[in-house]
Amino acid sequence: MTETKRPREPFAPWDRRALPGLFDVDETAKRVGHYKWVELKLFEALGGWVATVPELDVKMRLGTHCYHHAWHADLFDKRLPELREMKTDRLTLPANDHMVAFIDAMTEPEEAAMTIEKLVGVYRVLIPHKIAAYTYHRNATSEITDMPTVRILDFILQDEFNDWREGEMLIQSMIETEEELDRAMIHQTKLEKLMLAAGGIAGPGSIGDPYVEIPEEN
Amino acid sequence: MRKIFPAEELARDGRFIRQTNEQRMGDPRGARIAGGNSGDRLAKLTPELANGPDRARALMHGIFVGEIQALEGAGRTCWDFEVGEDVPLELKLDMARQCWDEARHCEISVALAEHMGTELGEYAENALLYEAACNPDPVLRLTGVNRALEGLAIDVFNTMKEFGNMAGDPVLEFCEDWMLADEVTHVKMGSDWLRRLTENDKERLDKALEFQKVVDRLFSFNGFRGEEDDSPIQLTRRFRELAGFSDDEIDEIADMSREARVEASS
Amino acid sequence: MTQVSVTPESFEMVFYDAAVIGEVVAEVAERLGFEETITLEIDERSPLGRSKITSYDPIELWVDGGALENTKRPRQFGTARARDTIGRLLLRILDRRSGRFNETPDDDELDLMQFAAWDVHCVGRLERLGIGGQRQRRLYQFRNRHGFSDVADAAFEQLWDSSELSWTEIERISGDCRTA
Repeated sequence: MTETKRPREPFAPWDRRALPGLFDVDETAKRVGHYKWVELKLFEALGGWVATVPELDVKMRLGTHCYHHAWHADLFDKRLPELREMKTDRLTLPANDHMVAFIDAMTEPEEAAMTIEKLVGVYRVLIPHKIAAYTYHRNATSEITDMPTVRILDFILQDEFNDWREGEMLIQSMIETEEELDRAMIHQTKLEKLMLAAGGIAGPGSIGDPYVEIPEEN
Repeated sequence: MRKIFPAEELARDGRFIRQTNEQRMGDPRGARIAGGNSGDRLAKLTPELANGPDRARALMHGIFVGEIQALEGAGRTCWDFEVGEDVPLELKLDMARQCWDEARHCEISVALAEHMGTELGEYAENALLYEAACNPDPVLRLTGVNRALEGLAIDVFNTMKEFGNMAGDPVLEFCEDWMLADEVTHVKMGSDWLRRLTENDKERLDKALEFQKVVDRLFSFNGFRGEEDDSPIQLTRRFRELAGFSDDEIDEIADMSREARVEASS
Repeated sequence: MTQVSVTPESFEMVFYDAAVIGEVVAEVAERLGFEETITLEIDERSPLGRSKITSYDPIELWVDGGALENTKRPRQFGTARARDTIGRLLLRILDRRSGRFNETPDDDELDLMQFAAWDVHCVGRLERLGIGGQRQRRLYQFRNRHGFSDVADAAFEQLWDSSELSWTEIERISGDCRTA
């Protein structure tokens, strides 16, 4: 029979989760609101573009990915009331005006001949920035107090990696000439500049600050 | 990217040829429907017909391009309307879910086309389905697309599933069964949103139901979809009930088909 | 040079040109070794794809307008479709004249299984001549008549790949699926 009175540690030896995290409840809610805004804008754009792309495989992928990001928006929307924001629309906001400018520029291409630009905006710029911000949040927040957000981000990151890989392969398969390569690079640079101004999908500090202050020498 | 993307600009590769509504309705032999032409007094689609397999192939291609347009329509509903101002977030989430479902239906249809020996683009495409998805009122759009057209899809998929069953074709029957399950969900979405968004707006409800009738009528050539034994596409009561249609509504569609049939034979 | 007579001479409901149709029929007939006059009657009112041989000697063929139609462009003539339709009819005439098909019932006595089996044998040969094709479409039709089974698929392969089967052999191959 198992000895039931024998005490055990509340955290097993292999469970090294730490209590401290970088974000308090308000900061987490603010960031989650920004994430939700980005996911919303992304799934709207993917849905809108379906009718505008002639490539059958791209059309079907955009339709599939559209739902992935809608689901992410829904997960973030459901997390907000748990972070003391009952009116979720109040925090469903862009991080700043630069982020609005980025989404406007990303969603601008419409012509059937601009599939490369559409894909580059999403899969070479926005999604890599989302992966970066979500990974930072997932690793920097408290794995005990904010575990619901960590769990959501784990699900979402799984989608993001898969979608990024599919999108990147579509782009590589569509770039067949130097002229098309230039188009991709020019559009990517244009959007990266806007993202740089925004400071990432959640604004400055989206992926933290890796630099250290050097103390003045005596 | 613009709001409301016109049907004539739907992007397709070189395999696909568009047939305009004028060309379709102007065919003196009758408009193309259910894998045949409405002027032919089409019999119920079964494998026993000499041209049964070829009609099934043609109908399957019609389903395929219909799925592409349904995907495009649901996608545009995600983009064309603003959350809060025009529609609730949940409506858009449903439309995004429908995008995924329709994308899968496209994939299934491509596989079925290969199974049945049909080349993509082998038949002309008509954009009537997507046109219903261009209505600027989201309630009318959802009613026209999700209740009228996806309702028709229930009938078509059930007919094709039965065709597969009669032919002993396990691939066709399996695929149609899965797509049918999704379509019931989509029609239910349409029924639910119609009720929610017009709860206190009788005028809008009436307009939406009228639009649904217009779309249903457009797809009732010769009463090809009905409850008669020889209707090419069988009206499917059981699945329509699951999807939120009342008995009166189903009776009305059956009556509409009967009237169209009488009109055609006179 | 094969002489082809097309009826009607002009079309009201479809955008067909009798002279163009005549050229396509003549081209297929010559590829198959015909040198005699062929009469082709077209019912332009029907978009269906039916076709039949109304007389073996002299050769008289009848088709729905739809049997010659380009399905991508309704009401327009489709050269590939026409080659397939006419090629199948002419090969059946050659088969019946070969002596290998003496026991074949009249066309209107053939059932759907028999027609499907003979069609596969015809279209397989046409494809090798570069006239027709759509192998998977023919397989689907064959499976609808003979079952979706490995036995039916093996029968299809045999009918498609063989160059000179007799009616007795076609009947046996088709019948084996029935008993399986």
